[in-house]
Amino acid sequence: MTSRFRLSLLVAVLAVAAAGPALAQSTKSGPALHVPEQYYKLPNGLKVVLSPDATVPTAVIAVYYNIGFRNEPRDRTGFAHLFEHLMFQGSQNLGKLQFIRLVEENGGILNGSTRFDFTNYFQVVPSNAVRRILWAEADRMKGLAIDTSNVNNQRDVVKNEVRVNVINQPYGGFPWIDLPIHANTNWYNAHNFYGDMGDLDKANLADASSFFHTYYAPNNAVLVVTGDIDIPATKSWIQEYFAKIPAATLPPKPDLTEPKQTEEKRFTRVDSLATRPAIGLAYHVPERFTPEWYAFGLLDQILAQGRDSRFYQELVQKRGLTGSVDAGINYGLGNMFDYQGPMLWEVQAFYDPDKKGDDLLAGFDAAIEPLRTTAVDQATLDRALVKMRSSLYAEMEQFAGFGRANLLASFALFDNDPDRINQLERGFAQVTPAILLHTAQEYLRPTNRTVELIVPAAKPDSSHK
Amino acid sequence: MTQTLVRRGATLVLSLLAATALGAQAPQKELPPPLGTPKPFVLPPRHELSLPNGMKVTLVRFGTVPKVSVYADVRTGHIDEKSNEVALSDVTGEMMREGTATRSATQIEEQVGGMGGSLAINVGDDDSGIGGTVLTEHGPEMVKLVADVVRNPKFPESELPRIIANESRDVAIARSQPQSIAREQFVKTIYGDHPYGRLYPTDAMLKGYTIAQVKDFYARNFGAARTHVYVVGVFDESQMEKAVRDAFAGWPAGSPATSKPPAPHTGHSVTLLDRPAAVQSTIMLGLPVPNPTSSEYTALEVTNALLGGTFGSRITTNIRENKGYTYSPFSYIATHRHDAYWVQQADVTTKFTGASLKEIFGEIDRLQKEAPGASELTGIKNNMIGLFTLQNGSRVGIVNQLEDADLQGLGPDYLSGFVKRVMAVTPSEVQHMTSTYIKPDQMTLVVVGDKATVAEQLEPYEKPVP
Repeated sequence: MTSRFRLSLLVAVLAVAAAGPALAQSTKSGPALHVPEQYYKLPNGLKVVLSPDATVPTAVIAVYYNIGFRNEPRDRTGFAHLFEHLMFQGSQNLGKLQFIRLVEENGGILNGSTRFDFTNYFQVVPSNAVRRILWAEADRMKGLAIDTSNVNNQRDVVKNEVRVNVINQPYGGFPWIDLPIHANTNWYNAHNFYGDMGDLDKANLADASSFFHTYYAPNNAVLVVTGDIDIPATKSWIQEYFAKIPAATLPPKPDLTEPKQTEEKRFTRVDSLATRPAIGLAYHVPERFTPEWYAFGLLDQILAQGRDSRFYQELVQKRGLTGSVDAGINYGLGNMFDYQGPMLWEVQAFYDPDKKGDDLLAGFDAAIEPLRTTAVDQATLDRALVKMRSSLYAEMEQFAGFGRANLLASFALFDNDPDRINQLERGFAQVTPAILLHTAQEYLRPTNRTVELIVPAAKPDSSHK
Repeated sequence: MTQTLVRRGATLVLSLLAATALGAQAPQKELPPPLGTPKPFVLPPRHELSLPNGMKVTLVRFGTVPKVSVYADVRTGHIDEKSNEVALSDVTGEMMREGTATRSATQIEEQVGGMGGSLAINVGDDDSGIGGTVLTEHGPEMVKLVADVVRNPKFPESELPRIIANESRDVAIARSQPQSIAREQFVKTIYGDHPYGRLYPTDAMLKGYTIAQVKDFYARNFGAARTHVYVVGVFDESQMEKAVRDAFAGWPAGSPATSKPPAPHTGHSVTLLDRPAAVQSTIMLGLPVPNPTSSEYTALEVTNALLGGTFGSRITTNIRENKGYTYSPFSYIATHRHDAYWVQQADVTTKFTGASLKEIFGEIDRLQKEAPGASELTGIKNNMIGLFTLQNGSRVGIVNQLEDADLQGLGPDYLSGFVKRVMAVTPSEVQHMTSTYIKPDQMTLVVVGDKATVAEQLEPYEKPVP
């Protein structure tokens, strides 16, 4: 189907493939599904999670390194992401393009991404190719075989990535790059992680070597294999290919903490390519796995997810200020589970020049404030739980089962406990109206938020008739 | 009662051959370990029926996650708009969610939210999908809700100005994005004043639409005879079949679907749209090609994948991995009912606009002159077969695959025969497809970029590339 607002049509649609967790009785309050998983560590420190599911004869192989863009060197903004590209440029037994071709020629797809707290590499392949892909991932964990021409080439590619996603786009970087920079105060959380062009120009082969040897070690990584897999065989291949890779001495973890925000912040960005104003909001969220964090997940459902949400009903349906409100924890870069450290809940909406940012804020406040003064009724809480349960399943199924691997990897990497995937539903079910109320009072304070306003400065549309 | 009930199953064996391209390495390198035995991928069986009013239904039980997708696919969309009605179908679609005879807009959204889902109304060129994915226990309830939205829209006039304002804003934002600007011009050049060639309305046109026009568009174009309901996921089959029959029984057949084949432009055309000081040029380069009903279509799909449709494809390897001109080059075949075009897209560094075109044309030329090697082609075919498993390995993926095949009027064997057809494509066929259909001298080229820098670079392409 060709729709008007899709940029690229008929690019192979792979999203939302079926995972197949075993089902327990599904109830409103109890755990409704159980994801089988085996978790162990190799002597060199590599964490391994295996999770079988034979619904479709495919498998996901994912390697997550515990280095995200927060932690990149201060004079090398954007380096963690540039380095992700370099991991596709060649290793001892696989020259440039050979890794990519190995995956594609075996019927698979692949990608890598750089996020706040990890860099990941993943493949979805027919299940008979698992051994081959494990060999290839181990090959690049052992070391890269790249030269200056690879660095130069990928620097050009990355600069074009920044151009296509940010510099040459209206609303480029709104709000996902802008808001963390302004809402946070700690450099680790508040720098431009896509990278300053000047910093990207300085990056060289020596930086790459040093970055690899500092962070890309088995004891700083997790390997997840899910799908139609044979557990004993998979374990033996992992032993064969990964066990000999030496561990490294890891640097101390930086202090990522953010001070409590006590005053609302506002900033505007003039966008010379945009023709309509837009507003973005950021609120600091509670620490992961606290009762307040679970509650915040449900507040997100109540306020911002779906057209039954209070934001949609208030700003779209009732006030006619915008056509949609989009929001999420770790918005644009992940979900409420796959990070480790301070995080924001971000909200965004586009509106018309005859309205003011304050009109939008009044609408947001009209939706938020009742949650800070009165406990919600059980029906509201129940609907939030149903939506959360459904979105959890959707998250796990996302991208041919990659979503499940992503959660298992995150909980292994950050929490040393991939079985947390099976504890989430219970955590949400334990949220009471009282916890929701006090969470809203503390974390949805106007003084806990940062407001971004996009001021459109493009010339009026001249191109169309 | 006319009723057909067919069960189908098909077994596909993924015969993935070794990645032989790696065989030519220096001897000291390790070779990749062997592949395991490929496992068959079984397309889940379909349960198909027709209701007395002509509506078609396909039920597919799939997966283990307790969710079910319910979509009513109606054969209407932009194809049914007159030249002064651009986006009227989109406005009608949005208005359908503003309430039914028995439900308010808010009640619709709260009900579907309570089922763990959301309601999507996606208006396309040839068809419009109305539905969503909900938790399994709510499947029959979702069927009822979808039927109510499709059959009984209230079209409250009070909401129309807001819906039009939203559409107007979306269009304005799209028109500020270089990729949308390029696409608007590209389809305009190829399809002219056919509905496929009219991507966005003017603001004046949009703001003139009345509730009478919306109601009339609905009355003309929605009905059981042009609707196909798809249910895919975990559900009880007899309960679901009853829910669908009950919910859609008695819906009038309505008029048959519109048949309005385009006469796409195939000559040489170059358009440069100025975006002063743009740091990148957005390129779209393509032309009409045989559509999915053609016996050559599979060979054309393979050709596209090899030329520019995959990460390891020739054009991507060239202009991204070797030259670094771009981040996101991609070619694809876009389809309408009984119509298709091939296009290569890329956002390239402004100063390398001409150089990028030179490389793209060079790769086309090379494939026209020389058949690909057997191992390169085998790799591409394996990739397509693997992707086919992924595309058919999810609820929404299955819905999309079935909708596409049904829209084209392709028989039940089309999907089950895919792997065999791909495997049969030969190197010389790929060369033949390229020289027969990917013809530079008949291409439409659209560039959105900084005219001051780019115009000169485009001069070599003002005349048809031989």
